[in-house]
This record gives sequence, structure tokens and C-alpha cells, in this order.
Amino acid sequence: MRRTPQSAGPLLSRREMLEMTGLGFGAVALGGLLASEGLLAAESSGDERAFDLRARPAHFSPRAKSIIMLMQNGGPSQVELFDPKPELNKRAGQVHRDKVEMFQPGSEGNKLLGCPFKFQPRGQCGMEISEVLPHLSGVADDLCLVRSMHTGHNNHTESLVMITSGKIFPGRPTLGSWISYALGSENQNLPSYIVLRDPEGYPGTGSTLWQNGWLPAIYRGTEFNAKGPPVLNLSPTAALPDGAQRDDLEFLARINQRHREGYPRETALEARIRNYELAARMQLAAGDALDLSKESDATRKMYGLDEPTTAGYGARCLMARRLVESGVRFVQVFPGAGNPWDSHGDVKGEIEKIAAKTDLPSAALIRDLKARGLLESTIVVWTGEFGRLPVSQNGKGRDHNRNGFSLLLAGGGFKAGYVHGATDDVGYRAVEKPVHVTDLFATLLHQLGLDHNKLTFRHHGRDETLTDSSVTGAKVVHELVDAPARA
Amino acid sequence: MRFYPTHSRRRAALAVLLTLPTIMIAQTVAADESPSGVQFENDILPILTAHCFKCHGLEARKAGLDLRTVGLMVRGGENGAAIVKGSAKESMLYERIADRSMPPEKELPLTDAKIDLIRRWLDAGAPSANPDAPLSAAEAPAVTAEDRQFWAFQKPARAAVPLVRQTARVRTPIDTFVLAKLEEKSLGFSSEADRHTIIRRACFDLLGLPPTPRQVSEFFADDAEGAYERMIDGLLASPHFGERWGRHWLDAAGYVDTIGDDTDATIAKVSSGKWLYRDYVVRSFNGDKPFDRFLLEQIAGDELIDWQAAEVLTPEAKELLVATGMLRTAADETLQNELNTADIRQAVLEHTMEVVASNLLGLTVNCARCHSHKFDPIPQEDYYRLLAIFSPAFNPQAWLQPAQRELPDISKAEKTRADAHNAEIDKQVSERNGRLAAVRKPYEERLFEARLATVPEPVRADTKAAIQTAADKRSEVQKYLAGKFEAALKVSPQEVAAALTPADQTSVESLTKEIAQLNSGRRSWGILQAVYDVGPPPPTYLLRRGNLDRPGAEVPAGFLHVLCESEARARVDVPKPNEHTSGRRLAFARWLTDRDSAAAGLVARVYVNRVWQYLFGQGIVSTSDNFGHSGARPTHGELLDWLALEFQTGGWRAKPLVKLMTTSAVYRQASQRDAAHEKTADSGGKYADPEAVDPGNELLWRMRLRQIESESVRDAILAASGKLDGGIGGPPTMIEGKPDGTVVVKQEGTPEEFKFRRSMYLLARRRYNLSLLEAFDQPELTSNCTRRTPSAVVSQSLTMLNDDFVFQQAGAFAKRVKQDATEERRQIEQAFRIALARVPDETEVHWAADLLRQQTERYAKTPMPPAEAAERALAHLCQMLLNTNEFLYIP
Repeated sequence: MRRTPQSAGPLLSRREMLEMTGLGFGAVALGGLLASEGLLAAESSGDERAFDLRARPAHFSPRAKSIIMLMQNGGPSQVELFDPKPELNKRAGQVHRDKVEMFQPGSEGNKLLGCPFKFQPRGQCGMEISEVLPHLSGVADDLCLVRSMHTGHNNHTESLVMITSGKIFPGRPTLGSWISYALGSENQNLPSYIVLRDPEGYPGTGSTLWQNGWLPAIYRGTEFNAKGPPVLNLSPTAALPDGAQRDDLEFLARINQRHREGYPRETALEARIRNYELAARMQLAAGDALDLSKESDATRKMYGLDEPTTAGYGARCLMARRLVESGVRFVQVFPGAGNPWDSHGDVKGEIEKIAAKTDLPSAALIRDLKARGLLESTIVVWTGEFGRLPVSQNGKGRDHNRNGFSLLLAGGGFKAGYVHGATDDVGYRAVEKPVHVTDLFATLLHQLGLDHNKLTFRHHGRDETLTDSSVTGAKVVHELVDAPARA
Repeated sequence: MRFYPTHSRRRAALAVLLTLPTIMIAQTVAADESPSGVQFENDILPILTAHCFKCHGLEARKAGLDLRTVGLMVRGGENGAAIVKGSAKESMLYERIADRSMPPEKELPLTDAKIDLIRRWLDAGAPSANPDAPLSAAEAPAVTAEDRQFWAFQKPARAAVPLVRQTARVRTPIDTFVLAKLEEKSLGFSSEADRHTIIRRACFDLLGLPPTPRQVSEFFADDAEGAYERMIDGLLASPHFGERWGRHWLDAAGYVDTIGDDTDATIAKVSSGKWLYRDYVVRSFNGDKPFDRFLLEQIAGDELIDWQAAEVLTPEAKELLVATGMLRTAADETLQNELNTADIRQAVLEHTMEVVASNLLGLTVNCARCHSHKFDPIPQEDYYRLLAIFSPAFNPQAWLQPAQRELPDISKAEKTRADAHNAEIDKQVSERNGRLAAVRKPYEERLFEARLATVPEPVRADTKAAIQTAADKRSEVQKYLAGKFEAALKVSPQEVAAALTPADQTSVESLTKEIAQLNSGRRSWGILQAVYDVGPPPPTYLLRRGNLDRPGAEVPAGFLHVLCESEARARVDVPKPNEHTSGRRLAFARWLTDRDSAAAGLVARVYVNRVWQYLFGQGIVSTSDNFGHSGARPTHGELLDWLALEFQTGGWRAKPLVKLMTTSAVYRQASQRDAAHEKTADSGGKYADPEAVDPGNELLWRMRLRQIESESVRDAILAASGKLDGGIGGPPTMIEGKPDGTVVVKQEGTPEEFKFRRSMYLLARRRYNLSLLEAFDQPELTSNCTRRTPSAVVSQSLTMLNDDFVFQQAGAFAKRVKQDATEERRQIEQAFRIALARVPDETEVHWAADLLRQQTERYAKTPMPPAEAAERALAHLCQMLLNTNEFLYIP
């Protein structure tokens, strides 16, 4: 049947492999082949290193391999969730002695607002967490709670850009891009940096939160959809007859291979040829990684997939676990469209609503990772972009506060059952052991075996870094982690 | 402990200062005991920041008073000096705070402790770590003669055209420069590219489009001497030339249609009439406007005429105003009232200047914002001197928000007349509306009373009174009654119309007609976006560490010292062109293009280098955005200078420059592996293996293979499908996000032909552009982009395989092929000709025929009529041709 002339040996062997599998491109284990041939390279000439996704060694022995960032857009209120302030409740209604920095109108009265929720010690460690988060409270012994975070700006956009890229102005690469650039991926069938957002809409500030900035485009976060096809254009809009695309790709490979012979040194041409194979593999691999039907009923229930309130975010948390399990380096999960933790009008009602949606799946992810032995090598970060003010806005709400907020870390060598730092007596400003966003980034990189000052990319004549420590003074916060990684 | 997060230099620094009082003051009181005594920066500045700067800082200078430095306090405002060093008693500042007249009541009051601290500080002589000294050596290091020796800062020098051995290959002086370097390494050029390669290359490079089958056949039919040059001339004369080269310029200028940071996927805040600048650029390239004039118009078009006093805004005047759109590309977030603050205003000013410096001078001047440049001789002072050129237009103290900057496209006088004209119409319309109301009123009342009768009698009168009371004046009871009955009692215009007597009906109709007629006589005008001085120039201060609240010495407007022979020449010393403008930008533009200046030499080099980059894939200076010490050195320095001088002496024209480059033997080489190099000897002597000597092809022994840019990918697909609309200019075609996250051309409300316009006419956003374009590396224009970075990521393959747009266009492409040819072989040939500008060889025909047969059989089984199955199969072939590397690369 194969009567067409063959001009290139490698094409023939590859084609034979494909035919042998009987599954088209999908089932061929080309990952190793590609890595060994170094053919995922995808950049313009003139650069010293190839910008690809091959796994690369860290600077020193890493404690963790991957990160799941549970982005809680909107500014979760520290004093309602993680940072109990008896003094605030005692003085509720009084005018606060210091004028707080407000962003929107409504807090001019500067009157302290008490917390409507009760706190109590949790787990063996006795960490105090609010009653509105019963499930996260249940994993307190696995959490590293930082109560002394502070950040750049009181507007969502600026601070969201900062918590993802380290500065308040958009245009710089995000944390996930830097990590993909540094370490590549352990799975050549999937992108290394995957974003799972609410299919109902973009989070506030949108894809800026997974931009590659001036890093090569290959390091940009790839959106996987939790509903319908997981990747944009992963399959044709209109269904094609079985095998039609396989024949298309075979024709394409022949034409491209012939063209390639004229340009032996152009690695981009080879990368493009390989990309069509990767595209076909991804169609299966991505589907598999996201196929939640492979999970047991018990697991699905644990993540809340059986309840409408938790099903959406729960599915994304569960997918995040499956992706990390498959070797994906960085997964960024968003609970909802817009900025769902933004509680200007009624902290009690608004927080109860979003907590009901996110508490159970967030906790389930930590439990599940731990049960599978993945928490050792995976860092879970639960964070908003800033906190909220101790004073009331329009009676029952709270305005934005960049001077103090709390976040959760789990796994990957972060101390378990540990509370770090403190805000002042009403939870306004980080005063004890303050941790800046760039300090957090330096520490996360450290756990991945990366020195934040050595991970550089030359841009506009300057060796840029994620933390820009010469300007920001960013430092690894060793107190947050178990033991220093071996140099 | 770190309280000043220096990381986010602008907004954060300001905001932190504003919120510091509690902790800082606590420290202050303690610090008071220290032997060093009270000091401005540590002790006084935080107090003033919290209590005074809102009115007496950068954002506002009430009574002309700015309290940000000791020097500014001594200088004082309208009421004289604010302080007398050594005497609190004689200091107005102390007097005002001590008697509590300052700060005003609505502001946070000063505590007694703070007032006392200020008293002691003044009595101690107002000590400061930065006494009002002139610029320090660190802020204004001397720029030396040696600094000016660096190659980029010297005027271009004309080198003799070198002698070469392989003279037969020389077509232009460019070739001798390149060949001389090659011969030094025993190398030579590759063979000349064949005709179908060179026409494809030239069309993409000059027009951004693939050649049409007609262009190809005409070129092939021209056997006479000079056919290639004639083909190039034809392309230079095409109106699409301005689109292609305008698009390059728009990248470098950072052009987008939106205003702010553009971070919201769902809302594009579009700047009205900004596209006029895009069209101005296209027109300028098509008309081959001299580049020095082009820059003059874009930097200071408004200063070339006194448009504010003009009786009529002529088309020429409008053009000059529109040209300044180049300075309106920096993201301006002050469109949000919450962000209309000093720090954000300052950011707009800074980014505007930085984009100009990056685009025109190829220097990273932005590095000198916080400290003198680490690598280049650019003192921090020079950054602020350049900033002062733009501050009269972007004055943080007299700020115009984006909506306030918009101009009507008619003169002030015309606008006044038009407003008066429209006011007269309004008056007449209002008079007729009154008459209409009078006719209707009795009917309305009658109908209302009839309805009112349905309201229970006890509350009837009260309800009537409630409804007749204005909504905001109603009592609680009235609000209740109105809420309950108002909607039900409302008489609709239709009811009134139905009740009118024939006579009244006639008068209503005639009045309505008159009103419509009057309104049609209203005068309207368009909106344009321009830059102009908003008032007298404000003083500009160097900002220590770039911090808005740490102003240092005042600096004059001026140019970069390293590009001026003397301090005198580095000054902006110009009379005002007219009473409305400072002339600073005009002076700046003249300095940039004055042929005798080193600046003009650099400007010419930077632009010529980019033209080279656009045609050869890499600049002679590969870091086309950085000509400084940390940038790359030119691979062919003498050639770069020769081209720069040729450009200047030839009248700064782009078209002759492009022609010179594209008719060179360097450009006309093959890009493929070439058998010519594999032969080791010829009459000239022994040749080396270029792959071994120069694997990176820095010396240009072959042409570089280049990926076509995002816009050209889409345009070429549309060219192949035959759907491409060739219209030039006009308002942008809107785009929209779909629920699955893709961005496509907006379907609803977009006229059919506008859906297939060239990609440069789609709404240009900083991000969230068409998914197809983003997949192919369209840059995020947070600022400007002088060099795009191509990538080959898997999403490109997925897009070309599965995207609905590509799928649809492949279908149209197949229909077109079917119309052109009926027989299978002819169809295959035509498909190759359209997509790749060449005919397939026998092997390729064979493969294509195989694919057609396989797919036809497959579709026929679905089942499907044979003709339809064949067309589907042809669409597969067409789509795969669009997927080939050959289609995506300029050969």
C-alpha cells in the first residue's frame, strides 16, 4: 500500500512506529526521544541556551518539584480567617487611634469592625483558624501560616500583578514562567505551566496573571479548561472522520521534511515538525490527565464534586493534583471569575459564600497530596493579593489593605503546624517578622533548589531576576522551612 | 525590619509614606533623644507627608507652596518663605501649625508632640541629610571626552568602500562591505535565490503579504534586464508598503487603540480617534515622508503651528496634531479617578519619554531614573533633563485625564461658532418642546385624573401630591405612596396620542417634524488624540532613587550630555514658538535630526539598523533596542555608518534605503544550504566551509530564514482563501472574547468585508488580541517593541490544525482552487501556486494526490456525494499547505 517515494529515513521510521501502535501519533512515547534529541528547542538563533521545556537541573538539591498556587483573588480578610484579634472585637465600633490608608470611599469614619466569626485552636499544633474554614482547620497540622505578609498596592490589579510577578506594573514574567524557564518540565506531553480558571469567566486582571513578560513565549501559562476540551484548539471545531487528521499529518510531515533538508541548521523547523507530533500526543495526554472519571467515588466526593457549590473549584483542585502527578511543574488555580474574596459590603455574608465554595476542595487537595506521598515534593500556596482593613467600610464591609495579610503554605519542606509573624493588635499592619511578596518568591524558589539571585534573564541590557533583590531587598525566609536545602 | 518596600518605587513609595505616621512617629520621638538631633529626612518628612503633602506636594501646590524639601520651603510660595532656618518663631510654617490654622480642620490634626518636634527642628537650623545642595557627583557625573569616544556616540564616519576580489557578485556598495568581511575568512556569498523564492521574500518584506499568482506570472514573464528592480519598484509603489512599514513603526512607537494598562479581558477602553495616528503613519510611509520631518511632526507637530489661535483647523494642521499621537502610547491609568494620583501621572510622563528614547536613540535611558546609568554615560540628571522636555505636556500638577486631553477636530473658533449654532437650535427645539407639552398637557391631566379615581378615596389627594412632588423631596409617607401607585398611574405617550383630537394631532405632528428638522441642522465634529503643552512648564526636580517624595535639585530641560559637544549645546534654549507652547519638544526634535549632531547620527544608525533587521532578520547591531555598552557591537560597523550617512544625505527617505538593501546581492542570496559552498576551490582561491567558520551566519554568507510575523500569518491565510480585503485605513475592526477564552473578530455588527481586513486594522490592544495573532508571538505592548521574538510553540501547530478560522479559510481556499481548475493535477498545482508561489515537483504531486484519494474515500464512506467528498479532501490539502513550514517562513 505504501507506494509513495520516501526521501527521508527518520520519517519512515517514525511513521512505522506510528503505524505499529495503531493509535496514530498519540501513543508513541516520544517524550524521551525528543528530550534525547534535544528537539523541542524553539527559539530564534543567537541565544546561548535553547528555550525549551526539557527538565533542567536546579542550582542545588531541591526540596520540592512542583507548585500548586491556589489564587484567592479579591483580598481574603485575614482577621476573619487566619488572624484572630481579640483587641479588635473588644474595641469594635470605636474610632481607631491611627488613620488607616483606605482605597475606596466608605471607611472615613475609621471605626473598628469586629470579626463575626469565632476562632479556636486546631489540631495538635493549636494554630487558630476561623470557624468559617472548618475543612482547612482540619489540616492545620500540615499548614504553614504566615500572618505577616505585606505587598505593593491597594488596587486589585497592581497587587494581583505583584503576587504573580513580583512588581506592581504588568509586563514582567510571572512566577510560573520563571520556574518553567528554570526547570522545564518532567512531562514532555504537557505544557510545564498550566492555568485552571473558572470557565464562567476570567479572574480579575485576566491572563496578565500568567503572562511570560519578556521571557520566551513557551514559558507562558497554558490555559486548560475544566469544561469541554481542556486546551484551546486541542481538537478540530468540526469533527473529522477517523484517521483523517493522521493522513493530513503524514502528508505535512513529508512536505516539511523535504523543506527541512535545505535548512540543516534551522532547529526551529525541526521543532515545528515535532510540535505536530506533540500536538497529537497532547490530545490524548491532556485528556487523560484531566479525565476525572478515572478517580474513585470517594476521591471525587472528598473534593466536593458531588455538591454544586464545590464541584467547579473542586474539579480544578483535583485536576491540579493529577497534573502535578503527571510531572507538570506549576499549576495556578482560580476559584471564580473576577475577584470573589472582595468583601466591601458585608464581610460575614460575602466570606461565608466564597468560603463555602473553596474551603473543602482546598483542604481536600492537601489531604489527597499527603495521602499519595506527593505533598513532600509539592508546595501548595493559598493566597490572595492583599488583606482587608480593621475598620468598617459602609458599616459591615472592609476595604483593601496591602499592609498586612495572611497566607497558607503546605508541603515541599515548609514547616507544618507553624505560624509565622504577626500583625499589630487590630490586624492592620505586619509588624513581627514581616514577609514581603518577593521574600515569599525567594523562599519558594529556594525550595525548588533555585537561588533567586542566580536565576537571571537578560532583558534590555540588564540581568533581570524574579525578585529583583538589589532593589527590593528580597531574602529567603529560612524560618518558614524545615531545614536548609543542602548546597 | 523593612517598612519602606523600595521594590515598587512609585505608587508604593508614596502610599507607604502616607501611611507611615504611626510607627515612624513612635520612632521619631525616641530618635529625638539621640545625639544626632532632629533631622529632616528621618523626623520631619514623615510628618509633612502625612499631614501636608496632599496640598503642598507634587500633586498640588496650594498658594504655590511645595514642602517636599528644605530648599523648596525656603523658596516658599505666594506668601513668601515658609521657613527661616534657625528660628521657628519667624517661620510661617511653624506659625500656621502652632495656631492650628494648618492643616485645615478636615485633615488629620497634628499632635502637640509633632508640633514641638517641628519647632525644635527649625530652631536647630532645619538640618537635613540632603541640604539644598546642587546635584551631587553621583547624580551628575561629568560626561568626559572619553565617554564620547564610544562608537555609538560618535558621528558616523564615511569609510572608503572596501576592495573585494569577487567583484562579479557586487551589485551595490552594501555588497562590498559584506563581501570584504567574508573574504577575510575565505568565504563568499551563496548562490542567488531563484525567482519564486525572491518574489516571495520581497513581497513579505515590502508588503507583509504573499505574492499573488498574477504578480508571480508577471515577474516570470519579464525577461528583460532589470526585471527584479522593476518588481521591487512596483512593490515600493504599492499602498500596502505603508501598511507593512507602518506596522514596524507602530511596534517601535508602542501603538495600541486602548488607553490604560488594558488588563481587563472583557473591557477594551478604546481611545476615540487614536487610529487616525495609525493611518497617518501608513500615509507617511506610502508618501515616503522624509524621516527627519516625520520625527519633527510626531514629537512636536503641535508646536509647528499655533493651532490654539487658528481660525480654522486646516487638514494640514489636523495632520500635525494627529502626528503627535506617537507620544500618546504610554498606558495612562489616570482615566480611573482613583488612580489619577501624582505617582501614576509621573509614570505616564516617564514612560512617554522612555519609549521615545528606546525607539529613537536605542538607549536604555530608563536605567537612569533611580541612579546614574551603570553602563552608559547617562547621568541621572540627564534622565530628568529629558523628562523636562515632556513635562509641559504631561504636567503632573496640571494634569489632564485622557478624556480631557481629547481635542475636537475643528478649531477653537469653529467650535465656539458651532456651539453657538447648536445652542440656538437647542433653544428653538426647547421652545417647540414647550408647545408640544402644552398641547399634550390637558389630555395627560384628564387621563391621569381618570386613573386617580381608582385609588381609594382616603389617600387619593395625598397620592396626587406625592407624585407631583419631586422624587428627592418626598417625605417618607409620600415615598411610600409614590412607590405604590406611581407606575400604575403613569400616562403613556401612546395613550395621549390616541386621545388627541384631529386638530391637535396635526399640530403635534408638525411640531415633531420641525424638531427633527432643527436637530438635523446641528453641527458635529470628530475627536482626535494629540499632545500639546497644557500650560507653562513646571519645574522639574531630580528624584532621589526615583522616589517622588525625595526631590533633589531642580534640573533644566536638556539633552543627553554624551551626545552634545558642550554644556551649552545640551541646553534647551529656545524662544517660545507661540504663547501656547514652550518649544521644548520642537527643540528636542531638531536636535535629534540636526545633521551636524552626534544625536542625529545615532538616530540615523538606530533606524537604519532596524530597517536592516526587518529585511535581514537581525540588525547589524543585533540588540536593536540597546546601542549602549551593554548592547551588542555592530557586526559591520563601517557599513552601518555608510548606510546612516547615505540615509541622511539622501534626504532621510526610507524607500530608497529599502530599495538599496533589497537590490543588494546580500539580500538576493539563497537562504538554503548551497552546493556552491561545498566546492572547495575556484579561480579566486581556496574557500572555507562557512558552516565551520561562521555557523551563526553573522557575516551573511547566506540569507537568513525568517518566520513570518503574526499579522502576516493571518493576512497570508486570507490571501490564499481569496477573502482578504485590501482597504487601507479607517476605524479599527472590533474583536471579542469567546467563552472558551479565544479572541476572534467580533461577528455581530461587523460588516462582512471588515471581518477580513488586514490584521493591522483589527483593534490593537496591549494584550487580549486575536488568539491567532497571540499564538504567533504578537508582542504584549506594555511599552514599545523594537524587535519581536519568534517562537515555535505547540499552540501554533494546534491553531493551524484545529482553529475554526483556519478551517473556514481552508474551505474557501479549496473552493477558489476548484474554480480555477477542474482536473486533479491542475488543482494540486494551483493550490501550491497560491499558497507557496511555486508549482510542486512530481514527488509532491504524488503525495498530494495520495492525500486527496485517501480523504475522498474516507468522506465518501460517511456517506457523502463524490463531488462533495472531493471538495472536502481538497480542503484538507489546502489546510495542510497552510500548515507547512514553507508557508510560515520567508525563504
